[in-house]
Amino acid sequence: MGLGEGAQRRIAVVLADVFGEPLDVARAVAAFLDAYLRQVPFQAALGLRVVTWAITWLPLLFIGVPLPAHRLSHETRMRYLRRWQTSKVYFLREGFYLLKAIALMGWGAHPAVRERLGVGPMAAVQRATPAVQP
Amino acid sequence: MSVEAADFVVVGSGAGGATAALVLAEAGCDVIVCEEGPEVRDEDRGLGSHDAFMRLFRDKGTQVAMGRSVIPILQGRCVGGTTVVNGAIVWRLPEDAYDRAFRAVGAAEAVPLPALLAQMDRIERDLHVAPAPDRLLGGNGTLMKRGSARLGWKAHAINRNVLDCQGSGRCLEACPTKRKQSMERTYLPRAAALGARILAGHEVRVVETSAARATAVSGRRADGSPFRIAARRGVVLAASAVQTPCILRRSGLGPRQHVGAHFRAHPGTAVAGIYDEPVRIWEGATQSYEIDEFRGQGFKMEVVGLPVELAGVRLPGMGADFQRAMNDFPHMAVWGVQVRAEAEGTVEPAGDRTRITFTPSPRDMETFRQGVRRLCELHFAAGAKRVYPGVHGGPDVLSSPDEMGQLDALPLDPRDWSFIAAHFFGTTRMGKTADDGVVGFDGAVHGVRGVWVLDAGAIPTNLGVNPQHTIMALAMHLAERIAQAS
Repeated sequence: MGLGEGAQRRIAVVLADVFGEPLDVARAVAAFLDAYLRQVPFQAALGLRVVTWAITWLPLLFIGVPLPAHRLSHETRMRYLRRWQTSKVYFLREGFYLLKAIALMGWGAHPAVRERLGVGPMAAVQRATPAVQP
Repeated sequence: MSVEAADFVVVGSGAGGATAALVLAEAGCDVIVCEEGPEVRDEDRGLGSHDAFMRLFRDKGTQVAMGRSVIPILQGRCVGGTTVVNGAIVWRLPEDAYDRAFRAVGAAEAVPLPALLAQMDRIERDLHVAPAPDRLLGGNGTLMKRGSARLGWKAHAINRNVLDCQGSGRCLEACPTKRKQSMERTYLPRAAALGARILAGHEVRVVETSAARATAVSGRRADGSPFRIAARRGVVLAASAVQTPCILRRSGLGPRQHVGAHFRAHPGTAVAGIYDEPVRIWEGATQSYEIDEFRGQGFKMEVVGLPVELAGVRLPGMGADFQRAMNDFPHMAVWGVQVRAEAEGTVEPAGDRTRITFTPSPRDMETFRQGVRRLCELHFAAGAKRVYPGVHGGPDVLSSPDEMGQLDALPLDPRDWSFIAAHFFGTTRMGKTADDGVVGFDGAVHGVRGVWVLDAGAIPTNLGVNPQHTIMALAMHLAERIAQAS
């Protein structure tokens, strides 16, 4: 189970607003989500896939606007996403948190993000130094 | 199907299994260790949270406990088990914890504290255990040290099983410089040098018995092919407090009312503080300093060196607000509170996965509220200019100690909190008889001969301190008796 190209394009627009990143970074995060979904056990993938679908397609239910999330204006989309983030319904709030938590792993691995935060590239740590035998 | 044989088959290669394998091998026994997960290669180390989850964690990091809320349950699944992906924290078993866990169930004679402490002496020598030196405290640990000193709280540098630690802050991703003295670097190679065979990618599903005696284990390899290994003298289960009860359940062994019941844990949550000075959380030991001032009240605080990709999860805000919060990352310290929860959960097999239920009790939630308040107090004492308590329904951010009164009203519903759980106990707990627990005080499963449990599941309750050391000492103590008896 993964995210098709269309689903990636749509969720990337949402993620760009969640993280305040340019669309090219958000597209990389969406691609990461696709890869993640293909790797994890089915139950976990299903949960995340459902959340991704729901966040993309349910503005009508949350804010009464009959458009998918990626077609909303920036301001409306932020209002919509805040509804998810602060929902009184635990599973909605937790669903948004799940998407954010998983997407953050892709965001935190992005070279541009790491450079901006000064944490260096992911593989900067020296690996496989000579073994220290006990 | 291929069939091998050994005197003892040890199931699991983490703290309990590796120790048992070494002790049995030292006693001259022929040992096979079956580990479900893969070997840890150099190229698997220090690759970031995502790759660590994918390569080294159970269910690729997606295992959860279901209850009133969903709580991630993190466990290693690789040669060396969770010792590969933990914070290298070594805690000598305090007497009060011993009393709660062992004396309270009548195990003081069979598992005396002095005997465990003597085993711990050996383990500490073997694993080069020592307090984190100042150079490894990093900004995160140095600030906790400063804050606790100002408040007069009992605190100390964490004792760690490392040798010449480079302070790369990536303990949880498998030490990238191989300085952590985890089991795949220490006891497993030693056991192998004595003839033990360590089989990665071998998931034991069932313990086979004949005439109420264990005769073999069977399961499947990583490629799906079946295997069976005959056990001439017995089977040592050390697959963790989550997996061992599932093996027993599938095998129809042990008193059913206790197998997988009494699941105890140390759930935890974290609080971030922002400082004027650079913290650079990614430098130094991942977990370097801790506060045990409140252990008697059921919680302990410790430094948690989270990578950037995990640190942002519970920060409030989106878009520009999120960016502002994350731009503070180099100035962010993250500390956790770990609660000795009184709540009990359950573990049972569910197809190819495991069903875990767990909900912190109302009293546990009160303890969490108190713990988070103390963490906020500590951050301000250390000089934080902003603190993020991270609880839904509470304040997003505190800018002054004067605002801490708001924390007294933090919600007590677990669904408003962000927990993560580690350290699991009790699912195959010790008890004198089958009415009391799953295993006797010698670790032997009641009602069957030749099956022992030497992992945290045998510890009757949660300890309130990091359990690796106790698991190893208990496994060493009981494995010596198994070797002598057989």
